[in-house]
Amino acid sequence: MRNKLKGISIVSIMTPVVIIAATMLTTSALIMTTGANPLNAYYYLLTGVFSNIIDTINRTIPIAFTAFAVALGLKAGLFNIGLESQFLMGALAGAATGAFITGVPAIVHVPLCLLVGMLSGMLYALPAAAMFVGKGANLLVLQLLFNSIGTLICTYFIAGPFAGENPSVAATPRIQATAQLPNLITGPNKLSISILFVMFTAFALWFYLNKTTSGYQLRTVGDNADAARYAGINVKKYHFGVLLVGGALAGLAGALDVTGNFYRMYGNYSPGYGFDGIPIAMLVNGNPLGMVIGAVIFGALRVGSVSMQTKAGVPVEIVKVIQGVLIMLISAQHFIRFLVGKYIKKGERNGKT
Amino acid sequence: MNQSILIIIIMSMMRLTVPIIIAALGNMYCLQAGIMNLGADGMMIAGAFGAALTTYFTGNVWLGVLVGVLAGGIIGSLHSLIYVEFGGMQNVSGLGLNILAAGITTFLCRAVFNSNMTPSVENMFTTPALAGVPVVGDLLMQFSPIFYIMIVLSFISWYVMAKTVTGLRIVAVGSDPRTTETAGINVWRLKHVCVITCGLMTGLAGAYLSLGQLDRFVEGMTSGKGMLAIIAVTIGRRKPLKTVAAALVFGFFDALQLQIQVKSGLNLPPELILSIPYVIAVLALLFGSSKSMDKVNLNPYVKSKYEF
Repeated sequence: MRNKLKGISIVSIMTPVVIIAATMLTTSALIMTTGANPLNAYYYLLTGVFSNIIDTINRTIPIAFTAFAVALGLKAGLFNIGLESQFLMGALAGAATGAFITGVPAIVHVPLCLLVGMLSGMLYALPAAAMFVGKGANLLVLQLLFNSIGTLICTYFIAGPFAGENPSVAATPRIQATAQLPNLITGPNKLSISILFVMFTAFALWFYLNKTTSGYQLRTVGDNADAARYAGINVKKYHFGVLLVGGALAGLAGALDVTGNFYRMYGNYSPGYGFDGIPIAMLVNGNPLGMVIGAVIFGALRVGSVSMQTKAGVPVEIVKVIQGVLIMLISAQHFIRFLVGKYIKKGERNGKT
Repeated sequence: MNQSILIIIIMSMMRLTVPIIIAALGNMYCLQAGIMNLGADGMMIAGAFGAALTTYFTGNVWLGVLVGVLAGGIIGSLHSLIYVEFGGMQNVSGLGLNILAAGITTFLCRAVFNSNMTPSVENMFTTPALAGVPVVGDLLMQFSPIFYIMIVLSFISWYVMAKTVTGLRIVAVGSDPRTTETAGINVWRLKHVCVITCGLMTGLAGAYLSLGQLDRFVEGMTSGKGMLAIIAVTIGRRKPLKTVAAALVFGFFDALQLQIQVKSGLNLPPELILSIPYVIAVLALLFGSSKSMDKVNLNPYVKSKYEF
């Protein structure tokens, strides 16, 4: 019995390790095809991160929020890929509220921006959620469609009604000073209080999932929707709620990014934050602390890849390749787990005889 | 005047629909066999890059098309390996393939050409071989050879699904793999064949994008066309001819927005018109019946030797 327990825990630790090691190997092979030395490239990646620690943390914040939203969906048995456009909607609404409402004290203006951003993300998640829950339409197809539409809506508003003072740059005007989030650190780079929101949300998520009845019911829905239905749990209510709360989290992340980091919204705002959350949440199985660590790693990859391109000549698209390989391996994680388990069992048997 | 605009729109619709129809027919095999292929965009972009790269280095467009088709097939076989063979999560795998293929193609493009697009390569915009046909020769030669391949593929797909035993077996595997296996059919082999066929055809659609529509590869050139192909299959209820009809609707609005952008007399924002195909797809999902999807079993059918 003890051996079995021990075996299970070794497998659960070894599976992510194997996945990450395989990703590193594949990426290194690809870097080698360009003629660069992978170790050299990784060295510049790390130096790029450590010379821009604050920038890395700023990048981490939106990724952590999308990871939380994905994890909430996964716990309820849903795969949420609509966060990209919900994040953009939150950023757009936050930027507009921050720029066009004037003469309000900061104590009202900042929360107003965040609230409007949050509600916009939630509202944008509503149609797909309603069609999925009400009509049983394919959620993934719907969310990909709404992602495409959302990107177009943002492009329209940034170039049209919300265009900034400089017509040659596609960006909204700079938000009012009263709408800017207070900073914790101002030099060498600024770090706003949005990091506190991440910590609070991580704690709230852990508390909700593990310490409340509603959280327990939500996990039951995710584990076995039929059993949950027989036990009298309203499965549709949880699915609907998870999608809306996910939209609210993504929208809040967008508003925080605008009011705390860039102070305006510009074209092609998101480098794919909505998809960054997916591998992170899946790899650590929705553990809040694990997701914060994963978000830091992904933020570091984004920051470090820039110095990797300039100094080692490795194109920044390597980040996409790393993510792609990681997601592919995660999708086969049950199989990898099976292989790892088989290998460990074999090792134990050989050790005994 | 009005008539000539109509002809221009119809011609441009025919050209713009080619990649959507080819990819949709490929994805039809996938969905019929119970596999949701969200990686269609990845297969398409791999095909586009493979075709443009090979044509640049060899100067032979047909060799380019062949490599493009094979590149799509490789991505397809990855999906097949993970989902059909290992029983992985197909939606996650498809999404990963999209990100991976988009990343690898742009990565290699930057590594080789130091830019996010290839230089101009030989193209196959027209079919000069058909110029000799009497009366309609001038019209026929204005289409790319891949356009004619598409017509042949549409006919073959209809024939396979409606008239052959293989078509029946594909439907059977998609709706009830266990019963089909009991009937002595190799479920996994058939599923592999369907996914890889889908990859090859979607790769061809990509090759059309970079050789038949444009004379180069550009980062992100598929712009969600793979997704539109999957939606066309859903709206067409996985029937070849209905799928082609649904794809033509998307092509029509693509052509329309291009005309409106060129004429710009209406002064509509381009984003509004660009979003029309997506809005139509949403409406189709809202008002269309989702019952036909219920017959497809989208759960992995795992080999018994991997007991987990």
